[in-house]
Amino acid sequence: MAENGKTFSATPAPYIHSADTVAKRCWGQLAALMPVIFAAGFFGKTEFLHVLLLSLISAVAFELLGAKLFGKKDKLHHGEAILIAVLMAILMPPGCPSEAILLANFLAVFIAKEFFGGMGEYLFHPVLFARVFLHASFPGMTAEPLVLHGSFWVLTAVGIGGLILVRQKQGYWETPFLYITLCSFCTFALGRWGNDPGNFFSGVLLTAFFLLADPVAMPLTRRGTRLFVAGAALLSALLSPRGFSMAAAGFSILLMNLLTPWLDVWLRPRPSAAEGLVNAGGQS
Amino acid sequence: MAAPKPVGIRLERKKDASLLNWNLKRLHPPEKICVPLRQGSRPCVRVGEQVRIGQRIGEPENPEEATVHASISGTVTEIAAAPDAMGGMSVRVVIQKSTEPKLAPGVWEIRKGWEQIPAGELEAAFQCAGLVTTDLSAEPVHSKIKRHAAASTLVVNCCEPEPYVTCEQTLLLSHPVEVLKGAELLRKALGAEKILLAFETCNFEIGELLKSKIFFLKWTHAEARAVPSLYPQGTERLLLQNWFPGEKEKAVVFPASTAFAAYEAVAHQKPFYERLVTVGGECVVEPRSLWLPLGISFQDAIHACKGVMREPERVVMNGPMAGIAQADLNVPVTAGTAAVLALPKEITKKGPEEPCIRCNLCVNKCPAGISPVMITLAADHQELETAGIFGAAACIECGNCGYVCPSQRPMLEKIRTAKKKLGISGTKPAGAHHG
Repeated sequence: MAENGKTFSATPAPYIHSADTVAKRCWGQLAALMPVIFAAGFFGKTEFLHVLLLSLISAVAFELLGAKLFGKKDKLHHGEAILIAVLMAILMPPGCPSEAILLANFLAVFIAKEFFGGMGEYLFHPVLFARVFLHASFPGMTAEPLVLHGSFWVLTAVGIGGLILVRQKQGYWETPFLYITLCSFCTFALGRWGNDPGNFFSGVLLTAFFLLADPVAMPLTRRGTRLFVAGAALLSALLSPRGFSMAAAGFSILLMNLLTPWLDVWLRPRPSAAEGLVNAGGQS
Repeated sequence: MAAPKPVGIRLERKKDASLLNWNLKRLHPPEKICVPLRQGSRPCVRVGEQVRIGQRIGEPENPEEATVHASISGTVTEIAAAPDAMGGMSVRVVIQKSTEPKLAPGVWEIRKGWEQIPAGELEAAFQCAGLVTTDLSAEPVHSKIKRHAAASTLVVNCCEPEPYVTCEQTLLLSHPVEVLKGAELLRKALGAEKILLAFETCNFEIGELLKSKIFFLKWTHAEARAVPSLYPQGTERLLLQNWFPGEKEKAVVFPASTAFAAYEAVAHQKPFYERLVTVGGECVVEPRSLWLPLGISFQDAIHACKGVMREPERVVMNGPMAGIAQADLNVPVTAGTAAVLALPKEITKKGPEEPCIRCNLCVNKCPAGISPVMITLAADHQELETAGIFGAAACIECGNCGYVCPSQRPMLEKIRTAKKKLGISGTKPAGAHHG
């Protein structure tokens, strides 16, 4: 036992913590992506593996470069750069050149993430930012992702991955639910169902589970998040010409990202509505 | 107005260890105790004077304040200011133990006809006993009663949402009837009509015990009511907010241990010089709840439970969620000390602070319904006005936001600093009541 006079560190409360960490969240998302990666590897063969490898190497390189340039400690152990790389590889269209992959990861990791201030500070979803930028800039990048040209098995893989992610309870259960139902319903109502429902649903599921899993650029309240997801779903249905378009989904999420600060202020929790606690600062 | 849905966290309660030793006991008096005097009171003993257990040693200048009594018998060796567990300084009367414990005259004598004592005399009895509430505010009971003269309901708080802390639970399991009788005395003094006993759903045995005792006492004005066992539901402020929305002045909350102390003060004429404290945490050899004389040092309190089996990383007063870590174990146990916890490294470990990833958890788990993330982010950027808009003033300082934060940000500390800068007094005034 501490003898008299021994001092302990007197940090502020709380002294216990839930085991939740940022790194756990990122690696958890990566674990949930494993079925999708396997399915993509199975159908995309060496092409997907090539894209994945290049994407991983470049994302890690840009993360390290960013850390060096901005004088920060690199956060590779959080797995955020790796998560970006994997999502990027999944969203790449077939037959894209190596330069495009490098550019995409540069845009995502260096510009959209590090340049905006790094983890937790960015305004736009880095992966979608890079993907939509490429889509708008290069004619060869307009095709749908390589992965979504798969089949029933890809759909199953995305579904299983999604369930794994939902089980981790990182976000709200209604985020994927709202997105899937609203997006499908609106596409159906607009008569733009297309002739490949398998493709449509793999795209919708991938977006709903994995592209809406990053909370950084999303609102800070449950109501705000619901509105965000609903807006993204409606916009993506409206902007897709036929079936599901990854570019339209990405663009709609980026647009909602832009609205997020306003949603945060507008839908902020209002304690004054409950009990007038605001004026009861002291002992009551 | 409908009561809002209770918000909170289902914490691992970790109470089993100290509940195993739930027979309440008192210690051999320690060699020395340092009884802190309350703010605004002066010592009424001199250095070198012999004092007995229960003897008055501190007199308030203000009649609204409470007297202070000696908790062991012995010689006053020193009267000086020293740091207390709340982070402030207070004047302390140091008493060196004498060989024979001696009671002051009249202490521990049954008051004749105490059950028929008129309401008007109760307040004086509480004042004479130096009775204060056994929570962090440590408000004198007689002045709290005066302040809540309009209350029609007395709420007796039997909840202990904090992990490790079991003193109320142990007291209720051991002395349910005495707690009820004390509550009746408090109700009488208040002039209230109804007694509500709040217990946590997971402590259903306490609820059942209280219900059966109320049944046998044939009381129709008392009722035991469950609170969901979610931290921090069951704290005074949330009880009032959820049970009496919009009409908080109609109810007043006293902890169950205060009701028990009120019973002792009236029936046994016992001054308030000791309280039930849980000494626990993984490091303590024999975690338990026991009666500790006020003024005993944390060091001696831990020794009384056979010391520690390994070096604690933090020693915390009260629960690990909203408690106060102590740098020095010579601080005394006071009326607001419900627990002394010695916590090991693996419990208190915390990773480095990361940037906020806006995961929404702190907003969803905030029982006050504010946005801790916006308040802390605004405070980080020195935008205090924004912190105010997002509800800094409504914070009840429960620590939920810091507990759930995946980025391990010190949320509570940031909010407290913001509140201080905004000029909002905290719910837990550090050092406000003693010195």
